[in-house]
Amino acid sequence: MPAHGVDVWFVGNRSALFWLALKLGFWTVLSLGFYRFWMKTRLRRWYWSAIRPGGHPLEYVGDPWEKLLGFFIAVVVLTFYIGIVNLFLMFLSFSIFQSSAVGYSASFLGVIPVWFYAQYRARRYVLGRTRWRAVRFGLEKGAWGYAWRALVHWAVTICTAGILWPRMTFWLEKYKTDRTFFGSTKLVQGGHWTMLYRAAVPFIAGVVLLMLTVVWVLWLDPLLPGAEEVFEDLLDGAGAAVRLGYVPSGWDRPARLLLLIPLVLLILYGAVHYRFVSKRLLADHKHADGVQMRSTLNGLRVSMIYVLGTTIVYTLLIVGMIGIVGLAVALLGPDAFLEAQMGTTDPLGDLPQWVSLGIIAALYLSAFLFWGVLHHTFVTFPLMRHMAVTLSLQNVAGLSKVSQRARDEFAEAEGFAEALDLGAAI
Amino acid sequence: MTLPPELPMPNSTQGGVFNARRAAYFDGDTPLPHTVTLMVDTGAQMLEIGFPTSNRDGALWPLKEIRQLDDMAGKEGVILRWTGDPLARLHLSDPTVLCHMHHLTRRSPPKGRARLGAWAFGAVAAVALQIGVLVPLLADRLATFVPPAGERALGEATFGQIRQALAGTGLPPLLTCDGAQGLATLEHMLVALGVERGTEEAIRVFVLDHEMVNAFALPGGYVVLFRGMIDAVLSPNEIAAVLAHEVGHVENRDPTRHALRSAGSIGILGLLFGDFAGGAAVLFLTERLISANYAQDAESGADEFAYTALEDAGVSPAALGDMFERLRDKYGDTEGVVAHFLSHPSLSSRINRARDAARSDAAYANIVTDAQWAALKVVCD
Repeated sequence: MPAHGVDVWFVGNRSALFWLALKLGFWTVLSLGFYRFWMKTRLRRWYWSAIRPGGHPLEYVGDPWEKLLGFFIAVVVLTFYIGIVNLFLMFLSFSIFQSSAVGYSASFLGVIPVWFYAQYRARRYVLGRTRWRAVRFGLEKGAWGYAWRALVHWAVTICTAGILWPRMTFWLEKYKTDRTFFGSTKLVQGGHWTMLYRAAVPFIAGVVLLMLTVVWVLWLDPLLPGAEEVFEDLLDGAGAAVRLGYVPSGWDRPARLLLLIPLVLLILYGAVHYRFVSKRLLADHKHADGVQMRSTLNGLRVSMIYVLGTTIVYTLLIVGMIGIVGLAVALLGPDAFLEAQMGTTDPLGDLPQWVSLGIIAALYLSAFLFWGVLHHTFVTFPLMRHMAVTLSLQNVAGLSKVSQRARDEFAEAEGFAEALDLGAAI
Repeated sequence: MTLPPELPMPNSTQGGVFNARRAAYFDGDTPLPHTVTLMVDTGAQMLEIGFPTSNRDGALWPLKEIRQLDDMAGKEGVILRWTGDPLARLHLSDPTVLCHMHHLTRRSPPKGRARLGAWAFGAVAAVALQIGVLVPLLADRLATFVPPAGERALGEATFGQIRQALAGTGLPPLLTCDGAQGLATLEHMLVALGVERGTEEAIRVFVLDHEMVNAFALPGGYVVLFRGMIDAVLSPNEIAAVLAHEVGHVENRDPTRHALRSAGSIGILGLLFGDFAGGAAVLFLTERLISANYAQDAESGADEFAYTALEDAGVSPAALGDMFERLRDKYGDTEGVVAHFLSHPSLSSRINRARDAARSDAAYANIVTDAQWAALKVVCD
């Protein structure tokens, strides 16, 4: 076995993925969503087989039937929780607070721990069904441990206005990595949480510059010289500017406000940059006995992939929807839509309402289908390719010591995550 | 894009041995590739896998039991597995040997069907039990414990939302009509129907300036008529009948129950269908189906209440039937599947029941004078 490292290749092309996702998405829509377990399985198989460390593809051995079973199990467990608990929360909310908002937010908050639990279980399932060179990956039990840690970290992060966010990223990743196995070998997340601040530099720079600009515009060199109620006058002025289409004459050099646009863009870029570069920093500090990971992920490049991909997806979607509506108007005439619309607002209307509802449902479903397919093609695929090819194993001497681990029998698969609609991407 | 490296593999070109360049065998224990020689024994229908560089024993895979991994990205290379060994994998770049294997894509039947069936049944039963029994039972129980102030706040919020929805986005909410004499007529009707007046919890009646022929009740004693309803009917007794019917809903606390039931069932259905592939559309239809089921009992109950109230006020219960006839003329009757989706049971049967409730020997009168009726007709002007 060579002591030097191996690179990760990525094979497979975009058009093959597009057609596969389109075909699977079509069946998913036709089956009212039940085919999604097969869709997920087959797309994962495709992506996994595209990622080839040392030229040997990963293999996804998850089974759609176990996903379906897991979904049923999750429904049985969650239905009582969600149904009865929601009912009581709404009752208390009406009775004590005289509004439904409290009930809805309490019901949302109550799901959050289950959400983290489901997230960890889903990761355990996916790792347990992933193999490389015929050896299984695995994640130890510990979903509730993850859930309460995640809750505490989120609370700390919120209380510190986000300053300790990198600490949360690091410790949650460490919790998961330190429980990850490849065969008999355990992975370790090294490094220190403060190293992640490097990934946050563009974001912090954006926030600091924005704060400086606000201070400059409002107090140092005020936009409204001599105004007492700075914010109120500013809001009034802005409202008038939007309504009337001109800038209030009392403002001093209003062009300075245009500075806000690049600053907000910088902050958005910073958020995407943090998300991916923190993954690189964490990957660089992951190692197992005799194996060291290394990532050369390019933050700017990956952010561009993300932003451009998302833009392409939404542009195509909007163009497609306009095309469909245009076609329908051309075929049915403009009156048909007006009538359909009036039909839907009519609680006692009969069949025509259901026809128009059917059309709306079909459009909604195809929009959802196309969104998913385009997202795979233009966002997930290039992101995964970039993350795969920039990853390498620096030292693989330890691989010769690895042996197989036992199968993780896992009754409910990722049923909870599926039922709670998380991690729908792949 | 980069391509996988050429792995150094020996070229064997003896007779009967396939060129296994860039082939690798993984034994399912260690992540190390083994160099292989492949030979097909057509007589025994076996693939003989030899390991020239190690001293381990060769493997024998029956040709009929070899499967190819599906959904592979890229066209280069195939991966084979043997159904008798769930772990070992054979990576091949040269597909010529595949022509000897005829069951490469045959699927194995799903394992544990009975278990799957049991849980599927369990899931359906749990949802049915919840939506059909537990949630309605609890909602009915709890509805009687919601304090009046809570009901009123809920009704007020819902009424605001409905007025906004009817007006359309970006417009001020739909106005309620405020013709003083017209409203006095409605007040007169309520008193005649024996409805409690003048207290904090008393029913409040509103007329919305909208052409829809309909009326509805909301939690907290809100009863709402549309102007279209007043325009469509021929006699004030029909309006009294509608009022009595909606008051019946309020008395039975149907709107509050309905709100609690929806709170419980919407979450469950959202869970079942997920958001993927338009669960929302399915959700809408199903919720509608359920609420229609609730409402069919509730509608009959409210009809019964209305017959009694009208009878006590000296007005013929048949007025409710007349009013339904207007609805039927306007929208047509609904039977079968469509009727199941709408909140009201088949109108024809309700018309007949209302007419049966009227006694043939009784002397019925109008609930208000012609002048009062004329004032109500212009309540929105």
